[in-house]
Amino acid sequence: MVSEITRQQFRRFRSLRRAWYSFWLLVAAYVLSLFSEHLANDRPLLMRYDGATYFPTLKFYPAEAFGGQYRTEADYLALEASPEFKAKGGWMLFPPIKSDPLRSYLRESGSPPHAPSARHWLGTDDSARDVAARLLYGFRSSMTFALTLAVIGAAMGIVAGGIQGYAGGWVDLAGQRLIEIWSALPFLYVVILIGSIYGQTFGVLLFVFLLFEWIGLSYYMRGEFYRLKHQTFTQAAQALGAGPIRILYRHILPNAMVPVITLFPFMLIGGISSLTALDFLGFGLPPPTPSWGEMLQQGLKYLYAPWLAISSVTALFTTLLLASFVGEGARAAFDPRSSNAIR
Amino acid sequence: MPSAEPAPAGPLLEVDGLTIRFGELTAVDGISFRLAAGETLAVVGESGSGKSVSALALTRLLPPPPACRLGGAIRLEGRDILQLDEPSLHRVRGKEIAYIFQEPSSSLNPLFTIGAQIGEAIRLHRPDVKDPVAEIVRVLDLVGIRDPEKRHRDYPHQLSGGMQQRVMIAMALVCQPKILVADEPTTALDVTIQAQIIALLRDLKQKLGMSVLMITHNFGIVHGFADRVIVMFRGKIVEEGPAETVLRSPQHPYTKALIACIPRLGQKQERLVTIDYSTLGK
Repeated sequence: MVSEITRQQFRRFRSLRRAWYSFWLLVAAYVLSLFSEHLANDRPLLMRYDGATYFPTLKFYPAEAFGGQYRTEADYLALEASPEFKAKGGWMLFPPIKSDPLRSYLRESGSPPHAPSARHWLGTDDSARDVAARLLYGFRSSMTFALTLAVIGAAMGIVAGGIQGYAGGWVDLAGQRLIEIWSALPFLYVVILIGSIYGQTFGVLLFVFLLFEWIGLSYYMRGEFYRLKHQTFTQAAQALGAGPIRILYRHILPNAMVPVITLFPFMLIGGISSLTALDFLGFGLPPPTPSWGEMLQQGLKYLYAPWLAISSVTALFTTLLLASFVGEGARAAFDPRSSNAIR
Repeated sequence: MPSAEPAPAGPLLEVDGLTIRFGELTAVDGISFRLAAGETLAVVGESGSGKSVSALALTRLLPPPPACRLGGAIRLEGRDILQLDEPSLHRVRGKEIAYIFQEPSSSLNPLFTIGAQIGEAIRLHRPDVKDPVAEIVRVLDLVGIRDPEKRHRDYPHQLSGGMQQRVMIAMALVCQPKILVADEPTTALDVTIQAQIIALLRDLKQKLGMSVLMITHNFGIVHGFADRVIVMFRGKIVEEGPAETVLRSPQHPYTKALIACIPRLGQKQERLVTIDYSTLGK
């Protein structure tokens, strides 16, 4: 189903270097962040102890296994430091960031937040948690959130806009009025309200965002479906005896995908920044969860510890910038109207 | 309203008192005509005379009521199209009565190859065809597309307007319809291509023996192409007869004026004839 035009558009997107490299950087960063447990963890990737090999980031081992007293998970950092461990010929291979995002590392000298050091590259926050690890996990959660939001929101927008555009008449009229009323709901209050009743979990937040996410795209899809319904080729297909479902899926929907592709990166940006904003205000994901908004909040609170603000702002800025470059390129490549405007 | 079954030996298509109303406006006011098997009928008329909507009404390709109301009867081999349900209607469209439209460049879906679009017609109406590609190549060859083995993988934008119209004709023909409705098929093309398309249609009509309903406002096309002519004016049939007779001795003032407007070689035309609509009455 990849047509010549689509292929041309992809070639065009590739030729826009800035967008193309930004796209792959973002994809690479996200794919890497999916393996955060193996990139930032205070459990070793590989461990030799008493002649046996262990993979603590993959598997749970109780402290008992390494001469401890309890059946709870072994404290590998303490284990590594113990003389007994060395005596048994043990060694550990740690992930690049040797910290768990949720754990406080209070052995550093001084009081948290600790400044960047060899042990904590980007320093620690006010609970002595590693900033680099939290940035990485925060990236994963905000990207996952924004991607899920954009995919489901786009699907909802296509359906809602498509129904209105294709059916037209009173369906369209009623739909438009309902959307007007719906979009006038104050988002922040809805989040606070639903969050305070059902708790601010990932799922609840996603649900509340989804309530509003589809509206923007549905306007475009309504217009596209309305336009394509009256195109001669849809009427020609009708004259050929094609049923309404066939016309919708084969003749209207594929031709209506351009706004989806061009808007998607911007929906992603919107998702990341609104989740961050919500976290910043304290209405987002609950406290121990690593999130960029919460880190920004700390950056503001501890201005004397600039590594907090600098790292989180840089991370957010870079991500949004890359996504904007992708969106800008997608718009230039796929939108026939604004053809050579951006280079 | 007559709904009795006519004799089986009747005409292929019989339109009886067809009325088309868009709200308060009556676009077509009780027209009746017949189309025999293998016959070519030209429907001539100015813009807004109701010729295109009449053609679309033949398979009910008009908005459903209340936006548009149809009256009278359209009998295709005795079955009244206006009484058919949706599924049977889908089987009539394309299979029994196929259409070619005015604007070939926008009649093709830009995202699919022409082969895929002809293949869609085959899938819809001829599930028995075992090798669709061979059939696609055959019809493309039939409508005079050179190198059809290669060309069927082309996208619409890679073809010229004349070739796009040939593809539209191929799409219509692949279902082997009994009636081909050509709604101003040459209006969007330049003059030499017009002549080619008309010659192609004439050739195919003879080869395949189908009936053709040609809608046009160009009397030049009628000559040598149509067996009979219907002249429509303000939603009514004002003149009807064999093509030669109508062209030679038009009766209705509107027809006279229309024929007088055909440019002729070697004659200097001073002014185009206009008609005074107020005298024609309604």
